[in-house]
Amino acid sequence: MNLTKLSSIFQRVRRNISTSPYLHLAATATIAFSLLVIGVFAMLYVNISALIHSWQQDVRVVAYLKDELSEEWVESLRQSFAKLNGVEEVTYVSKDEAMARLRRQMKHRLSLLEGLRENPLPASFELQLVHGAQTPENLDLLASQLRGFPEVEDLGYGETWFNRFSGFIGFFRLASLIIGGLVIAITVFVCANTIRLTLYAKREEVEIMRLVGATDAFIKTPFYVQNLIEGLLGGLVALVLLFGSFKFLIARIQTPDALLSSCDIRFISFTWCAALLAAGMFVGWFGSYLSLKSFLRS
Amino acid sequence: MITGTGAEPVIQLFHVHKRYGSQTAINDINLTVTKNDFVFITGPSGAGKTTLLRLLFLQEAVSEGQILVNGINLQRIRRAKIPLFRRSMGFVFQDFRLINSYTVYENIALVLETTGQDIRHIRKKVPHVLRMVGLEDRIHAYPPRLSGGEQQRVAIARAAVSNPFILLADELTGNLDTDAADMVFGLLRQLHSRGTTIIVATHDSRLFDKARARIVFLNQGRLEGETKS
Ligand SMILES: Nc1ncnc2c1ncn2[C@@H]1O[C@H](COP(=O)(O)OP(=O)(O)O)[C@@H](O)[C@H]1O
Ligand SMILES: [Mg+2]
Repeated sequence: MNLTKLSSIFQRVRRNISTSPYLHLAATATIAFSLLVIGVFAMLYVNISALIHSWQQDVRVVAYLKDELSEEWVESLRQSFAKLNGVEEVTYVSKDEAMARLRRQMKHRLSLLEGLRENPLPASFELQLVHGAQTPENLDLLASQLRGFPEVEDLGYGETWFNRFSGFIGFFRLASLIIGGLVIAITVFVCANTIRLTLYAKREEVEIMRLVGATDAFIKTPFYVQNLIEGLLGGLVALVLLFGSFKFLIARIQTPDALLSSCDIRFISFTWCAALLAAGMFVGWFGSYLSLKSFLRS
Repeated sequence: MITGTGAEPVIQLFHVHKRYGSQTAINDINLTVTKNDFVFITGPSGAGKTTLLRLLFLQEAVSEGQILVNGINLQRIRRAKIPLFRRSMGFVFQDFRLINSYTVYENIALVLETTGQDIRHIRKKVPHVLRMVGLEDRIHAYPPRLSGGEQQRVAIARAAVSNPFILLADELTGNLDTDAADMVFGLLRQLHSRGTTIIVATHDSRLFDKARARIVFLNQGRLEGETKS
């Protein structure tokens, strides 16, 4: 590839775009839109994953104890629990402390608790799982071990929401893949079509080029370059729009007294951004490839 | 077999036939063109002149027989090698085949761009060849704004710009006025003097005295004879 061919390629790219600017604008917009959709899914995925991760830090099993256990007994239980597989930390909550917590939570409806003659709340141990091993399986394993203790009357752990959420994340991932794939396929189709239309408009020119000794590569390259540029441009537009709406959203919901103020929404990583740009260029390239493959055979 | 005077054969046709369905456009032609020949192929409309040139340029494949160009059998040239093969030739098409959205300059420069020649060379070479056909002042015009004769001269300039080994010109005719015809043949003679082999198809016998050449008669796809001008 020398300077002459390079300048010839870019002249033809410029010509292609200037003869049908709206076609190429539409193609770029389509790429931008589909990458934006994918970017939104990426944002959701990244943030939901982060949220779930932070919840996992907090996964614990509560073992409610039978009443009237002696202090020594409780102490020996604590030591046995601490030795169980996967347990990071064991915290004892006495009956009185449980009641104190309840009072704190219900401080506006204390009257409801007035009528109680004795404390109905059980003492309990809270077992924190080892960091990094907070999977539903480990949780179940620990629970079944705890059920083997006669002193444990009942267990409390977020097994249902936890499992449901793991399931949801799997479903979300699948749905994202399907929607992403669909959007990409449509965009490839649109890109292939802009090339097909351009080729059709330029069939005479292409035919003449062949007659004067142009190779297929010489003829094809501008169409690839043109779609690569549109893919890159579409990717940049999508990223700018995504970042813009992200900033807008952040400004809206992170007011001091809002419900979600503690929520830490983050933007997709640099790798994700690069992947979106690469996806845009791939879509453009592949669209060109599909159209050119059949066209130049004829 | 009708042969030229030189020693080195550049184009050889052996029992070449070209059929379109039941129609025979070229019928059992044997012909040898040697290096630096100047050949007129003449004959009435429909004689097969265009078809013969298209066969030489690999725009069509023979139905039967063999064509050798520089000793290479055209049937053996792979598709991917056709561009390379065509670059060694210049072709003036009957309908000119200029790109209407390219200026005269761009049309001619394209030939040199495909071979990746230096831009500075292209910028010098294109005006030079246009001057030879008297169109230097139309260098930035678009073909649809030119007369038929002017378009033909651009087509000739484009075919000549790469100093081709063989130049094929289809139907150089009365589209050209006397001055233009003189310029065109001046260019062809210059190429010829540099060793280019030239084949001109025409049904216009007035062109024969423009060059010392072999004149080959074609009729209904058959080669009927040859003289010299
Ligand atoms: N692509 C084609 N399909 C069918 N018939 C053709 C085709 N090209 C040429 N012919 C026929 O072949 C014969 C020779 O045509 P052509 O080579 O164009 O003659 P000339 O150039 O001498 O006027 C004509 O009868 C023409 O109708
Ligand atoms: Mg003809």
